[in-house]
Amino acid sequence: MKLLTHNLLSSHVPGLRPGAGFPLRIELGHPSELPPEPSPGYEADEEFLRRLHHVLLEVEVLEGSLQCPDSGRRFPISRGVPNLLLSEDEA
Amino acid sequence: QVHRLRSVDNLFVVVQEFKDYQFKENKEDALKDLEDLVKKLPWTDPLKVWELNNSLKKKKTKRKKHNLQSPASRGKLSDGGEEGGADQNNTNEQEDCAQNPVAVEPTGGQDTENAQGVASRNGVEEEEDNEQSDVKAEVQASSESGAKAGDGQTGEGEAKVLRFRVTCNRAGDKHSFTSNEAARDFGGAVQEHFQWKADMTNFDVEVLLNIHNNEVVVGIALTEESLHRRNITHFGPTTLRSTLAYGMLRLCDPKPTDIIVDPMCGTGAIPIEGAAEWPHCYHIAGDNNPQAVKRAANNISSLLRKNESKDSSTALGVPLDVIQWDICRLPLRTGSVDIVVTDMPFGKRIGSKKKNWDLYPACLMEMGRICTPGTGRAVLLTQDKKCFAKALSRVGHIWRRAQTVWVNVGGLHAAVYLLRRTSERAEEARPFW
Repeated sequence: MKLLTHNLLSSHVPGLRPGAGFPLRIELGHPSELPPEPSPGYEADEEFLRRLHHVLLEVEVLEGSLQCPDSGRRFPISRGVPNLLLSEDEA
Repeated sequence: QVHRLRSVDNLFVVVQEFKDYQFKENKEDALKDLEDLVKKLPWTDPLKVWELNNSLKKKKTKRKKHNLQSPASRGKLSDGGEEGGADQNNTNEQEDCAQNPVAVEPTGGQDTENAQGVASRNGVEEEEDNEQSDVKAEVQASSESGAKAGDGQTGEGEAKVLRFRVTCNRAGDKHSFTSNEAARDFGGAVQEHFQWKADMTNFDVEVLLNIHNNEVVVGIALTEESLHRRNITHFGPTTLRSTLAYGMLRLCDPKPTDIIVDPMCGTGAIPIEGAAEWPHCYHIAGDNNPQAVKRAANNISSLLRKNESKDSSTALGVPLDVIQWDICRLPLRTGSVDIVVTDMPFGKRIGSKKKNWDLYPACLMEMGRICTPGTGRAVLLTQDKKCFAKALSRVGHIWRRAQTVWVNVGGLHAAVYLLRRTSERAEEARPFW
């Protein structure tokens, strides 16, 4: 799973407050190489853009999980594929 | 360039086309006419094109390990049609060559020695056809990209005994002969005329005799096997032809940075084709079935490996991801997706018609939610047109039907619907299903 995909995902556990499902917490021991906020004028910062592109599109989470920020429910990521199916009772 | 058209199954050069051929009622007479036809056909130019095509193919296999952008792969064959050059956005090819010698026609992939009563044209019906009754192939030696040089090509002066076969595709119910008979007799005449050797399996030239009611087209094949299986190594029960997937994606008119989602991806035919041809978009594939997800992931790995061997400098990631999810409960943010493109379960091999009554409306609602209001669009393929129409009528506030294209998918009459997302915003809170 790439970081750009993670940016589009939101927890769909029923009963959440609106908007509370995003962002899912990525759980693995990988520190980010990026500053938390883009510094002003980042569009021109070639070095930053390169790192951003790399992190968004070239880094893959292979094993780990995504955690719903509201309910705490965890969704596994296995071999690069996140499984976001809810169980019968949850749905 | 014609070879790089992504929505074409087969390529052949037209020798001659008869729009309204009058077959004699009697079988013997009809077949005799076909035999006599051989002598009268303008074979020279099409054969030149065939030779040219061969030299290109040779270059391609030689250079399999090298960058595919080599000049040899930019053939002298000009654009196959208006839509041919549209997607070569990353090459600056010159538009050389005079007349277009190639007729681009989506025909069935297999040899059909047996005719069918119904027209067996696979592919999208609104495909461009460049049929001409005369073929002019102007080979411009000056800007030649070396296709003929140093390849040990036989010159035209040499008399080479070629091996050939004739394939006849026949459709229509008023013919007095079968495709086998036509192929046999036409083949006999071809053999006499050219003194070539007939060989069903090891042939150099494949002559095509396509008969559709009163339309007869004689051609020479330029492709060996149907191009619809590219990009896919792991097939599933209903894997979509890559050529059809390409056509559907084109209908969405993807723009760079568009997010394109296939929420029922199966083996991933559509997103994989998407990532290969529209690498400036971001493609997401999803399915609820673990087998499908596995196959899609495998197909993507194969594609990655293929990419790696092509360009060793940087093995860039493919802009494509796979997720396991439920189409009725997509874990995607509202309004975050530009394009939804998918092959909906027909209710034949996957699911059932009964299930579709509930599934289709639920799908359309969820797709409407994730799609960007105003600019979003969806391209959906289905054979269950009745169910689809009913489902669509219930979501008129979210989706507007913009275009319908009729297609033949494995003999089934299906439709591809282009829908535009209205400006109405979807609710954040999901209704309970």
